[in-house]
Amino acid sequence: MHDDKISRQTIADPRSRYGNAKASTRHFITQRLTGVSNIVFLLLLLFVVVRLAGEDRAEMVATIGSAWIGLPLALLLGIVTIHMRNGMRDILEDYFRGSAYGLYMTLNTLFCLFIAVAGIGAILKLVFWG
Amino acid sequence: MVELMLPKADRPTKGKTWPKPANAGKLREYHIYRYDPDQNANPRIDTYFVDLDACGPMILDGLLWIKNNVDPTLTLRRSCREGICGSCSMNINGLNTLACTKGMDDSSGPIKIYPLPHMPVVKDLVPDLTTFYAQHRAIEPWLKTTSPTPAKEWTQSVPQRAKLDGLYECILCACCSTSCPSYWWNGERYLGPAALLQAYRWLIDSRDETTSERLDNLEDPFKLYRCHTIMNCAKVCPKGLNPAKAIAEIKKMLVERKAA
Repeated sequence: MHDDKISRQTIADPRSRYGNAKASTRHFITQRLTGVSNIVFLLLLLFVVVRLAGEDRAEMVATIGSAWIGLPLALLLGIVTIHMRNGMRDILEDYFRGSAYGLYMTLNTLFCLFIAVAGIGAILKLVFWG
Repeated sequence: MVELMLPKADRPTKGKTWPKPANAGKLREYHIYRYDPDQNANPRIDTYFVDLDACGPMILDGLLWIKNNVDPTLTLRRSCREGICGSCSMNINGLNTLACTKGMDDSSGPIKIYPLPHMPVVKDLVPDLTTFYAQHRAIEPWLKTTSPTPAKEWTQSVPQRAKLDGLYECILCACCSTSCPSYWWNGERYLGPAALLQAYRWLIDSRDETTSERLDNLEDPFKLYRCHTIMNCAKVCPKGLNPAKAIAEIKKMLVERKAA
């Protein structure tokens, strides 16, 4: 992202850009698509949570370890973290500039990556190795 | 950038309370933001009393009555007095609107008047709209064509013309842009609802032949995508327009172009 000094000339110039133009529409599409798919997958999550309420650990491991439940849950986590990263990007773009934006965006990416890897890894372990 | 508090030097202080007019009938209290760049002092809120028997029913009438009868130094923009020119846009009782079309009887209690929010103030109720106009200029608000100019005129069918309804009526009063938090935070980069409404007006004009170029110029994380559909713009527009819908339509055009 640029952090050019904005002047009246740069505002008046329609060619001036303050970020990755093509990526901006891609981010918008991704945010909407992941948002819609989250609704579907969250219904599955809700079903799992309600079904497992009060069950012991063995039952939970058996349910999430089932490929029919575990794989969609892993997919859900992947989509949620992409959505999370994009949503936070929007906020960071609103509130930060220059190197502060770069730093927070990197932290945002690393945090989302950590959540995705740890969560999906844990679910896949249950599915494939019990 | 985000500013959650006004700098100390910009915080309004309690100002002068002007005397009530003699032999007045019904009075209405006005609290008005005053700022004079030539005085090295904070802005202040002055209190005035308007004689309702001696002036018209609109808030602008009250302001002009104050200027003519109480305090000639009160500075404001106004011209048409009928909601066409957009000059007298200001923040009245917390809502951006036109002083000429807002009645005094629309609210009770003192009428609180400030300049349009988050804009540099030239004096009193006059904001500096230089950036706002530059943003309007940036969307190139004129017909752009590539084919040879017809001998008579660029024609348009009735349905094609109807698409411009709800867009062409914008009077550039800046009520929408200055009510938008995204515009407050990123006013120099985000084009704002008014400019984007105009951008859409030219995008869907059947006579315009540079749609793709116009979309290229708008595709930017700041110019367009700072709109978070807060909808303040639609709420305050004194002409009843919906800039948020126009912005959503531009986003839709960009998505369709990307998907094509």
